[in-house]
Amino acid sequence: MRVALAEDGALFRQGLVMLLEAAGHEVVAVEPGGDELLRALAGRPVDVAVLDIRMPPEPDGGLVTAERLRASHPDTGLLFLSHYAESHYLVRILEIGTERIGYRLKEKVGSVDVLSDTLTRIAEGEIVIEPVLARRLVEKPRTDRANVVAALSERERDVVRLMAEGRSNGAIAGELFVSGKAVEKHIASIFDKFGLHADATESNRRVLAVLTYLRSQQGERS
Amino acid sequence: MTTADGPTRRRDVRREHWTRRRQLERRLHDGAAVRISSLALRLGVLDAPREQIEALQDEVAAALDELRAVAAGIYPPLLHEAGLGPALAERARATGVDVALDVADDRCGPAAEGAAYFALVEVLAAARGPLAVTVRRDGATLVVAVAGADPGLAAVLADEAGPLGGDVAVTAAEIVGRFPCG
Repeated sequence: MRVALAEDGALFRQGLVMLLEAAGHEVVAVEPGGDELLRALAGRPVDVAVLDIRMPPEPDGGLVTAERLRASHPDTGLLFLSHYAESHYLVRILEIGTERIGYRLKEKVGSVDVLSDTLTRIAEGEIVIEPVLARRLVEKPRTDRANVVAALSERERDVVRLMAEGRSNGAIAGELFVSGKAVEKHIASIFDKFGLHADATESNRRVLAVLTYLRSQQGERS
Repeated sequence: MTTADGPTRRRDVRREHWTRRRQLERRLHDGAAVRISSLALRLGVLDAPREQIEALQDEVAAALDELRAVAAGIYPPLLHEAGLGPALAERARATGVDVALDVADDRCGPAAEGAAYFALVEVLAAARGPLAVTVRRDGATLVVAVAGADPGLAAVLADEAGPLGGDVAVTAAEIVGRFPCG
């Protein structure tokens, strides 16, 4: 896979290049900031761009860079690596895109297998979300805004959490030891309870369900 | 005049205190955190048994968790980057407190935001029932209103607002703290 990365911490940048190369990926550009990355990628697209969230242009250069990159290279996957897993950033990331996109903690992609799996899923169009973030969001629902999630059964909550981690129906079925049909039924029920009707495409409704769910945990954003 | 210099000096010292806290958090992030998280990646390319590598990476992740907890107590990065609204929402979600937040997007500088945030963290921690927190910018002042809290908690807001030249008022319905921006 052709990969580019922007990260302002020199040590982490070096470590990531080492790991990417060990995983057999071609590292096309290594830059200390978003603006440099955009310049480097102007003429030669990559499969996935790896971005630190908190880097130049300050304060959250990764997000700004991603928006520009998504506009100029819509087929390029985006992987955000951060020292923090915050639902605030997750919502902003999902506002940039709901396909070919991922958000993981820096220290959690420290093996060739995990890093490659993350990049492959993103390049194939999935959303990959740090599991601890998705899990934390369901385990402690905010009581005052949890109504929409409170309407879900426990099993439906498991399903929407796994959806928020970017899993496919097949993967969700495997994880919960139920049939694919059962998962479809749960998802249909989640769509229904979230008020997402059939006029949107399946993948769109899926993303909207995830967003509805995440927003319900987060409170209102003005 | 010492009587005029006193509060002004105290305010400057307090502002400096918040700026320094924000800088300390930044140093933790740019220094130790980068160094330690890059270790996780370097371990990943070592030629050693997988279980050994994973055990070491778990240690690295635990160290980073502790570092994040310390940073959050010094000056939460989300407060600096995104403001009081997102920082309070994240805090409320993490602690599971029942609070309705209505926070304007306006920014007000590290001192007022830091002081208001940490005062509200204490108020949230002491909550016995549902709270409503409203934050608005009124000219050069950040106005924080808390409904549903024990009126005794006004002292917590006063401790943070006072040194910055702000004040606190208590009515039957709410506690209102005023934090000068800058």
